[in-house]
Amino acid sequence: MKKFSHLAIPYIVWSLIMLLLPMLLLVLYAFTETGNDIVTFSFTLKYFKKFFTDPDFLLVLWRSLKIAFKTTVICIFLAYPVAYFIANSSDKLRNILVLAITLPMWINMLVRTYAWIGLLSDGGILQRLLEMLGFGTHKLLYTEGAVLLGMVYNFIPFMILQINTSLCKMDKSLKEASFDLGANRVQTFFKVTLPLSLPGVVSGISLVFLPAVSSFFIPKLLGGGQYFLIGNIIENQFITVGEWNFGSAISMIMAVIMMCSMYLVRRIEDRVSGNKKEETARK
Amino acid sequence: MKKKKRWVGMIVMALTILFFYLPIIFMIAFSFNESKSLTHFDGFSLKWYKKMFNDSAMMESLYTTILVAVIATVVSTVVGTISAIGLSKSKKVVREAVTQLNDFPIMNPEIVTAIGLMLFFITLGIERGLMTMILAHIAFCIPYVILSVMPKIRSLDPNIAEAAMDLGATPWQALTKVIVPQIKVGILSGALIAFTMSFDDFIISYFVTGRGVKNLSIMVYTMSKRVNPSINAISTLVVVSITIGLIVVNVIPIIKEKKLRKKALEGQI
Amino acid sequence: MEEKKLIQFRNIVMNFDDNQLVLKGINLDINENEFVTLLGPSGCGKTTLLRILGGFLEPTEGTVIFDGEDITKLPPHKRELNTVFQKYALFPHMNVYQNIAFGLKIKKMSADVIEQKVMKMLKLIGLEGYENKNVTLLSGGQQQRVAIARALVNEPKVLLLDEPLGALDLKLRKEMQYELKRIQQEVGITFIFVTHDQEEALTMSDKIVIMKDGEIQQIGTPQDIYNEPINRYVADFVGESNIISGRMPEDYKVVFDDTTFECVDHDFDPNEPVDIIIRPEDIDIVKPGEGKLTGEVLSVLFKGMHYEVVVETVPGTSVTVNMRVIKNNEVTSGDGKEKISANDFFVDIEDVKLLDDKEIIARADAQAWLPDKDEYISINKIEYDIKEEIGEYPVTFFTSSGTMIQKSIYVVNQPFVKNVKANEAVSAFNFFKTVDELRESVALDTDLKTWANAQGWKISDENESVDISVDYDFDPDEIKEGVYKVTFWTTGREFKIRTTDYVEEGIEVGLDFFPEDIHVMKKMEG
Repeated sequence: MKKFSHLAIPYIVWSLIMLLLPMLLLVLYAFTETGNDIVTFSFTLKYFKKFFTDPDFLLVLWRSLKIAFKTTVICIFLAYPVAYFIANSSDKLRNILVLAITLPMWINMLVRTYAWIGLLSDGGILQRLLEMLGFGTHKLLYTEGAVLLGMVYNFIPFMILQINTSLCKMDKSLKEASFDLGANRVQTFFKVTLPLSLPGVVSGISLVFLPAVSSFFIPKLLGGGQYFLIGNIIENQFITVGEWNFGSAISMIMAVIMMCSMYLVRRIEDRVSGNKKEETARK
Repeated sequence: MKKKKRWVGMIVMALTILFFYLPIIFMIAFSFNESKSLTHFDGFSLKWYKKMFNDSAMMESLYTTILVAVIATVVSTVVGTISAIGLSKSKKVVREAVTQLNDFPIMNPEIVTAIGLMLFFITLGIERGLMTMILAHIAFCIPYVILSVMPKIRSLDPNIAEAAMDLGATPWQALTKVIVPQIKVGILSGALIAFTMSFDDFIISYFVTGRGVKNLSIMVYTMSKRVNPSINAISTLVVVSITIGLIVVNVIPIIKEKKLRKKALEGQI
Repeated sequence: MEEKKLIQFRNIVMNFDDNQLVLKGINLDINENEFVTLLGPSGCGKTTLLRILGGFLEPTEGTVIFDGEDITKLPPHKRELNTVFQKYALFPHMNVYQNIAFGLKIKKMSADVIEQKVMKMLKLIGLEGYENKNVTLLSGGQQQRVAIARALVNEPKVLLLDEPLGALDLKLRKEMQYELKRIQQEVGITFIFVTHDQEEALTMSDKIVIMKDGEIQQIGTPQDIYNEPINRYVADFVGESNIISGRMPEDYKVVFDDTTFECVDHDFDPNEPVDIIIRPEDIDIVKPGEGKLTGEVLSVLFKGMHYEVVVETVPGTSVTVNMRVIKNNEVTSGDGKEKISANDFFVDIEDVKLLDDKEIIARADAQAWLPDKDEYISINKIEYDIKEEIGEYPVTFFTSSGTMIQKSIYVVNQPFVKNVKANEAVSAFNFFKTVDELRESVALDTDLKTWANAQGWKISDENESVDISVDYDFDPDEIKEGVYKVTFWTTGREFKIRTTDYVEEGIEVGLDFFPEDIHVMKKMEG
């Protein structure tokens, strides 16, 4: 059997070079100043200082976190009823609905986001629809609302699928037990179904919040360059400005913030579903 | 009361589906627009499709996308499967370390992975272009293949390879005739994930490319400022082919099953 | 004791979507304070019936009456009964206390009343001090108790238990059986218990309902069910028994194995075919000639509390054939690269028409191989000419490269041995084998049966086969050419007897039983 374990060796080497080394380089660049060549790198914290002392950058960070938070909250409240409906459908309908939700995810995110430009633009369908309904004429494209819409649109399928999975995994007899003990549908939902589906919500959060914070093409396409998020700053540092060290530092800051929020989310998840995990571990 | 609730759910569901498909339908509709407008439909025409086929940059980006996706899928599926089998027999420490490494591109924001790879190529002095894009795609696709193959290997009887070799199979035969057929489902879904990840990728490709090599996503991104209905046309093309592909993949097993059932029924009679 | 009908099932029919008839018109009354067990194999509809009572399923037809009220369409949370689920269905996000308090909190009872009641329940199930424990960390038996407490705390009139002991190991299961019975007696409500374990049912129940394929077979006390099973199915399902086919020539008389016995049963049609059961513990072993039957002790098994003795009263059927062991039967091709072998064989005149190439190759045990590579090759042609007349006919086997061997098929009129008393017949043929084939056989008994084409069947129905055994007195490892006797035989009428006295294997004994120990049942339909 030892022979089979040799099969992994090439990949171990590959992953050290292609997965680990780039991350180490990112850290290296973030903490160094460029000399004339690789050997003359020198250690510095000035890029971190630059980021944290410039109110403009901090504002962008704050804005990114805020919009990611809004996206997540909207996703939870929209996704839960949809997931609940799917989970309670017949097997056949459930498969079709899950496919219907997944299908758009197979299409390029950029293409899907691009499609919204036409819908939201001045004189476009949505603007005219709002006019017809008597809401007055509003500028839709290149606003915060448009960016929020784009993010919800792109990330909500993850939330729906996660919640749906956790609802489907739930033992049906738990609901029956609750009815049996005298709880009606509403009571059963709030006392049994909802708490038991929270792990799905929590993992949905990490799948929505994280990409929302770092997203940079959604604000660019739907925010029209006026709505800058942290991803856009990083992009600028690398593509237009060419400040790789500063860009690396910002990326690192973002990665650390995300790791912290992931950790937080995991902690909450552990507390919510601690029982469940032990159960599966015992099996 | 139960019925009524179902109706509310139906409406919510219908609105959700509409929300998901509205932009796609819109895009398809306006790819056939006579004028350049993205807001007014001025009559049916195929001129954007003609333009698209004559636009060499666009066709080249389509070609690049497919080429990169195919190479990345084939390489990452083969390497990922072999590595997953190897890892399942490796020491726990090694396995866990590699799993941790694998989590990097899955857990990290894509932009961080992208920048890491970009710095990597620059530092090593590799000129960025098609080659770096393919390498990067392979790098982020393999972890997904391993992720989908690994659980299938875990659920295998750990003695199955020994049993095959006990019955006279060489290790290679044990691998190809016993292990691989049993984890086929995992390998196929891994390949499918790898293909879509590569085909749809924008962020990583955007940072590791160079010398004007563009895939479809990069092209849409760089063109998005100007109104160009050819983007709608090429997107429609992609959407339609993906939909057909998915329907075929999903429908074939159903038809097969129906045929089998029919046969079984006939057999009973 | 005054008995009041608490639950009435009226003509319950359940038909699932895929047109599966799960319940075929169930009528059943359940009294107050009874411990009722629904017993049957999986798929008999017992769980479906329980779920209909619990309100989780609505029957296709029929009504459920609870305490005089039609509750067929009442949702589960409005029913005055509670369920202990198969896998307990404890809420994993709540601790022991919260699980038990769930139903009371739903009823908006005050916190101190809830606490009082929960504590009382914890005492009843013997889990005091466990209230803050995580339910998923409890053992199976403890989870079980919590599930019972969670249901009982609501003071239901009926507790439904859906195979609650299925997930426990044997020892724990026994413990919980007594525990459940104790709890039922203490709280004094109706328990409806679903199980497929007959012993569980006999131990705990006041009333057992035996189900099969969506129908009730018998309802009765454990004693009734055990002593007076209504048919072969019930007798076989509950306890161990000797079940014999026979007939009733007249009232109080029953005939089996050509002997007439007195019994206490009556009201059958004259000469009606019946099933007869005699429980193993009702048979006494006596001296030969002193009992109603005589037989030979075949085996004695020590079972701890008693011996299980098997006595054969009617001998089986046997056939002895000749096995001719020959030296060599292989032919080597001219170039020495191929070898082919086959045997002569006997075939019954009536079976000649069944012979085809495949069958002849199998009966002759024809094989070809490459001795150098130790690889088998196929026999690709055979030539033969055979008539449905007694005689010897040549057959030739070829490989693709032309290596051949010629053998004979003997068509004979093989008489079979009939045993009318035991309603069976056995046949077997003489056969030829080589020394090597015998030595190389890894499952000689099976091979001998195949080589001799030995078969046993019921005279009453030729398609019903009878198991045969084989006897021989040669050592296959030391065998030389020659003729050997091989005997194929069936077991006869065997009785299982449970006794505390030791008897020796092989001796002749008498078997005695009282007329009331013979229980006569109607034959089952189908």
